[in-house]
Order: sequence, then structure tokens, then C-alpha cells
Amino acid sequence: MVVLVAAIPLLFVVYSSFELSQAQWIGLWSSRLPGLLWNTLSLAILVAIGCFVLGVSTAWLITRRDFVGKRLAVWLLVLPLTIPTYVFAHIYTVMLDDEGWLGSVWLAVFGSSVPMPDLYNVFGVALILSLAGFSYVFLLVRAALMRSNVVFEEAARIHGATPLQVFARISLPLLRPAIAAGLAVVMLHVLSDFGAVSMLRYQTFTLSIYLQMSGRFDFQAAAGLSLVLVSLSLTFLVLERFFRSRQRYYSSGQSRAVRPKHATRGEQLLIWGWLGLVALFAFGLPVAWMLVWTWHAWIEQHITREFWGYVFNSGFVSFSAATIAVVLAFPIGLYHARRPTLSSNTFLHLSNVGFVLPGPVVALGVITFVLATMPVLYGGFIALVMAVVVRFLPLAVQSQEASMQQLTPSVEQAGRILGAGPLENLWRVTLPMIRGGLISAWVLVFIDVLKELPATLLLRPIGFDTLPVRIWIEASEEMLELAAPAALMLVVGTFPAIWVMMRGEMAKRQVE
Amino acid sequence: MTFLKRFSYLASGIVAIVACSVAGVQASDDELIVYSGRSDKFVRPVVEAFTEKTGVKVVLHTAESTALLNKLRLEGGRTPADLFLSNDAGNLQLGSDAKLFRAVSKDIASAIPSQYRAADNTWIGLSARARVLVINTNNVEKGELQSVFDLADPKWLGRLGITNATNESFIAGVTVYLEATDRGQTKAWLEGLKANINGGVFSKHSHIVNAVARGKKDAGLVNHYYIYRHLAENPNAPIAIVLPDQGENDFGIAWNVAGIAVTKHSKKLELAEQLIAFLVSEEGQKMFAEANREYPTREGVPAADMVPPAGSYKVAGVPMSALGAKRNTTIDLLEEVGMP
Repeated sequence: MVVLVAAIPLLFVVYSSFELSQAQWIGLWSSRLPGLLWNTLSLAILVAIGCFVLGVSTAWLITRRDFVGKRLAVWLLVLPLTIPTYVFAHIYTVMLDDEGWLGSVWLAVFGSSVPMPDLYNVFGVALILSLAGFSYVFLLVRAALMRSNVVFEEAARIHGATPLQVFARISLPLLRPAIAAGLAVVMLHVLSDFGAVSMLRYQTFTLSIYLQMSGRFDFQAAAGLSLVLVSLSLTFLVLERFFRSRQRYYSSGQSRAVRPKHATRGEQLLIWGWLGLVALFAFGLPVAWMLVWTWHAWIEQHITREFWGYVFNSGFVSFSAATIAVVLAFPIGLYHARRPTLSSNTFLHLSNVGFVLPGPVVALGVITFVLATMPVLYGGFIALVMAVVVRFLPLAVQSQEASMQQLTPSVEQAGRILGAGPLENLWRVTLPMIRGGLISAWVLVFIDVLKELPATLLLRPIGFDTLPVRIWIEASEEMLELAAPAALMLVVGTFPAIWVMMRGEMAKRQVE
Repeated sequence: MTFLKRFSYLASGIVAIVACSVAGVQASDDELIVYSGRSDKFVRPVVEAFTEKTGVKVVLHTAESTALLNKLRLEGGRTPADLFLSNDAGNLQLGSDAKLFRAVSKDIASAIPSQYRAADNTWIGLSARARVLVINTNNVEKGELQSVFDLADPKWLGRLGITNATNESFIAGVTVYLEATDRGQTKAWLEGLKANINGGVFSKHSHIVNAVARGKKDAGLVNHYYIYRHLAENPNAPIAIVLPDQGENDFGIAWNVAGIAVTKHSKKLELAEQLIAFLVSEEGQKMFAEANREYPTREGVPAADMVPPAGSYKVAGVPMSALGAKRNTTIDLLEEVGMP
């Protein structure tokens, strides 16, 4: 049932693309596809590399070394998640302008003879998307590192391996599920990203689909392209599963918690140098920009009572959608983690569809479905929540499943042996054990729904504006400065959610 | 355990709230719902004035024109929208062609000259924008640029600012040039333009004006109001407007209109027409156009102070409906040339 709902947009796409004649397919194939494929794939690979470097290095430093201001560092590395890619892209193009903050620094340092870095190419887009996405890898790898067993690393050290060897041959392979899950989330974001690519005019599948739909009203071609995009993403996900499925890691009973080493003074400096650099570009600069323009808006009294209404709407949608998504994702994740069969695989991949389809396509699919089957709901809050849940369900599935895979089945079996029924077992053993995964699933969905734009724009009830909608409305008349308060509010609004996630972790560690 | 308990309380709370809102937001009887593809900032003051006058509430549902048009089409008879507002005559005409709108009664429509509304009155143009050139007065002599077609001259290599080819205004402009000249000439022009800009296009009109003001570029192709928006904030910026193609045999300046239409399935026809009647009245026209320094379409209502008055220059004689009918032809040509 859940999967069926998630597959609605796919059905819509397949149905629409049936209307595409063979000649049109051939035309599409020869004229657009090669370029789009190359653009999309090269971007995906660059972003994967960027997120891997940024995410794994920072997570490693945070979990394995003790240094001053560690909690602050964690926050700074998670918070970039709260900034939508379109805001990122805009802020960076403005700052790299001659008169922008970074542009003037560049001119002062290098003079005008060295050309300023240009964002309007694959490297620029990859940089923006890496900064906006590496936190997913950071979060999942960090969680895995904290749970992971140091016994193996110590054993390797005792047998004479150098620290680098240990990292490359023990820690990295052990981290593979977490890294794969993190990168999968990042990849799905890249494939479905609309904000940064449209701002920087980099033609990927998503942008091209959108242009087909909005410029030409050509649903069929858009659906055809979507179908290719979906196949591409599913191939990629199946590959990721394949590489992951050959190993299964359970933490054993005799695990010991990681004791981070104290960093020396020199190390502290180096650590903060690197973390500070990452945090500065991924969070510090954009937020400083927002603060400056919010201050301007405040002085000029652009922040009215309606603004707080948008804040409430955003929070309400995100809260409901995150809760529903976590509940819905649970059976899919559990089923697959415990009985990885063909059908569970299919369910899992189908549930991913919402994420790889461009937002406007998901929205149109949901509109068509709701109008055809339950028109009462149309135009209401439910249709909107349904669309965003469909879009972000995979996030919830991914992070729940990652934590379920690490939960040793023998613990559950023990519960059953001791006489607990399946439900009681679920309630008293499984759920508490994967609490961390549930919480981070909830927070990840919450954050993404908070930032969601294209589907909300189409499906929101009349007069129901959210913060991203307002950002879009201000930006569409080329006055993005006016959007700064809304962007800042998104960041501030995510604080409580992330705090809940962090506090859950703290409590857990104390118990252990 | 406490965590799980709290979680389940929360979940049931949510379910309750959601269940309450199943019915959705129902519009009351004396409320108009407008699907608006135009910036809230420009529309809100006008509809607020209308509400004050008539007591009829207006809810603006703002999104992209094309997305809203798709939505109207999918919704069919269930649409809650009473009116559709767009910045582009092309979109309005596409909606008319898809039979999404209903004709406005003649005595209201006739306030606007016939070239700025649909032939069957299914949409009414409310304000117009002119496609003009902006130059840096330090680097470009007056009279050096006479026509938009001059921009294809190799001497402008690296000196031009234009938007990317997916921009609504850019497409509408090219459609007018295509209709006013012919395919061969327009194609050659686009190719020259493409060579001159050398890959460097702008995503925003305001960035073009900014670049010209700072001497990074010498000339740009923009909508007229962006120039005055810049001048309002920087009165001493070294930029000037150039009204192109004004010679005796030239085709004139490309115009595009923002307009409004009543949806076919609106149940509040009377109120909707009341709003349109206000928007085409002198008072409404002045407010609607002046908010963005555009030209009121009603004759005899002046534009904002600095803007060159309508009628003081020649406007291309291409009917607005062509902007919708020929849009795909233009996009095909742009793709054939490979305009970035």
C-alpha cells in the first residue's frame, strides 16, 4: 500500500511516456540524451568525490580526536543541511561578483589579472552541491564511527599495521554501509536537484525535464526524459545495493565504545583549520550574508505579521510529513533488512522513485492521482503532505535501514526466545535499539520538507505559503535580498530538530 | 520507553490534526481566488485597494505562470481558481487556446485597445513592457546602436549582456523579431549574438543592467523597467536607454503584456468581472502598471515619470496572440542555433 502510493508518480510518468511515438523517442535519444547523460553523470561523480572527502574526513576527526569546541564543530558541520541549494547558489554567485565579499577579497589578493573562479560550469555546480550535501555523509559516517567497534582497529595495530593502513583496510571497509548510504542520499539529491542547476544554468535531466514542461508544455517528452532519469537512478541504487549486500556487519556483543584520543595543541590547530575552513564556506559565509540582509529587511520593516504565518505553515507541513514518512518507512526498511528477497528489493527501490523524479513531476503525478481517485482531498493539506512524503520517503527508508542492518538479529531472536510476541518484541526490543536511526530519519525528512519548493508550489492549499515559496516569490522578481529573512528562518527553524537528534545521541551514550 | 510513548502521542496528535484539515481550505462565497504568475509585491497593493473599495476579498495563489497553467488544465472543473494572472501574453494565449478561460464581457474589455487583448476577449492585457537596449554612456556613443540586429555585429564581441535563452522575456522578444522579419534573418542574428556573447549569458536582467552600469559590459538587451529600477537606486549610474529600430522602415520595439483571464469554471463570474473592471479603470491601471514602472494598456493613462511615454516611439505591429502561437517555433530555432 505504502509502496503503491510512492509509485504513483512513476505510473504517471510511464503512462505519459507511452504517448510518445517511436520517432519522438529516436529524436530525443539522438539529440538530447547523450549530452544530458554526460552532464548529469559527471556532476554526480564530482559531487560524490567532494562529499566523500568533506564528509569522511570531518566525521573521522570528530569521532576519533578530542579537542576544544567539539560540540560546536558538530553543529557547524550539520547546519549546512538547512540551506537550500538555490539559496547556496545565489549567495555564492553574488559573493563572487566583483563587488561581492569573496570577489573583492580575490581582487585584493590576486589583482584583476587572475580571473575569478566561475561557478557556471560543472565544477562550480559540483562545489555548491558538495557544500550543500556533504553533511549527509558526515552524519551517517559519524554515527557509524561512534557505534563501531575499535577492537578490530586495535587488533590490526597490535599486528603492526600503520595508522594509515588501519584506516584504509579496516575502518574504511567497515564504514562502507554508512558511506554508501550517505553517498546514496547525496546522489539522489544531485539527480533531483533543481535549485542549483537552474540558478547556474547547468543542463541536467531535471532541469531539462522542467524546461520541456514549462517552456513547451510538452508532457510526453518530459515524461520520456523522466523515465530515463528514473532508470538511471535505479541502476545506480541497485549497484550500490549490490556492493553493499555482499557484506553484512553486525556489531558483536563484546564491543567497546570508542575513546577519542586527546589532540595535542598542534593537532588541535590543524583540526580546527580544516573543520573551520569547511564550516566557513558551507555555513559561516552564507549565514553571515543572510544576517546582513535580514538586518536590512528588519530596518525597512519588511518583516510583517504574515511572515510568521509562513513560518508556522512551513513547520506544520514539515512536522506532519516527517512523522508520517518515518512511520511509513519502517515496515519497508525492516522487511528489507531482515528478509532481503526479490520482492523486498523491489519495494525498496520503488519507494525510492519519489526522490529521483523531479519535484514538479511528482506534484503533477499526485494531482492527477488525487483528482482521479479522491477529489475530496484535492486542494487540501493532505494532498500536499502526500506529495512531500512520496518525495522524501527514501530518506527515511535509507537511514532506518542502515541502523537496522547494524542491529544484530540475535538480539531480536533472544527477545522472542524469552517469550515476547512479535509486536511486543518490536515495541520493546527493535524500536528502542534503532531509536537513533528513527530520530535521524525524522530529522532528515523534516529538513528536506522544510526546504522543498517545486511540489509545494504546485500543491499547497490556496493561500498557504511556506518559507521556500516566499523565497521563490521574492527571488522571481530578481530581489533575492528580500528573501534573506525567510532563508534565515529556515536555518533557525531546523535548530530544534537537530537539537533533538543530538540530544538523543547524548542520552544514548550516557546509557552505554 | 518514555521516548516511544512521547513519539506515539505525537503521532496520534498529528493524525488528529490532519484528519481535521481533510476538507481543505474552502473559499467563502465573497472571496476571489487568483492564480498569479506575477510578483506579489506588484499585485498585492492593487488587489488590496480593490478589497477596500468593494469588500470582496482576494486570495493570491502565486507560482510560476506555466506551472499554474498546467495546474488549471489538470484541475479542469474542480479548479478553485476564479482568475489567472500572468506576466506573459504567450502564456495567456496558450491558456485561451486550451479553452481554459471564459470571455470577459465586451463593455469591460473595450476599455483596452484590441491589440492588447485576446481576439475573443478570453484574456485582457493590463500592463506592457518594452524590450529595449541599455548602454554604458561612457563607452558607447549615442547613435552607435540603432537596432537590436546591430548586436550581431562582431564589434560587440565580449561587450554584450543578454539573458539565457530560457527566459520568458527573451523568448517573447525573439518571437516578435521572427514575426517582424523572417526566419533566415533572425537565425543569422542569433548566430552573431551567440558568437558575440561567447558563452557568457546572464541569468537575471538586473545583473545585466548592473554589469553595464559598472562598465563590465557596454550594452545589454533588457525590459525597460529594469533600467529605471536601477536608476531609482543609483541616480548617477552611467547608463541610458536606447529605443531600437525606430527608422522609417524599421519594425519598432517589441512589447509584451501582463494580463488577466477569468477561468472557464469559475462560479463567481460577477465578482471576477468586477475585479477586472477595477483593473482596467484609470485608477486600477495606474496602480497596476506603476508598481513596476510598466505601461498601462488603457489609452490616456500615463506611465511612470522617467519612462519614455508610450506613443513617443514605434511599437512592433506583431499581435500579442502570436507570442503564444509561435512560441514553440521560437524555442525550436533557439535550440537549433544552440543559444546558451
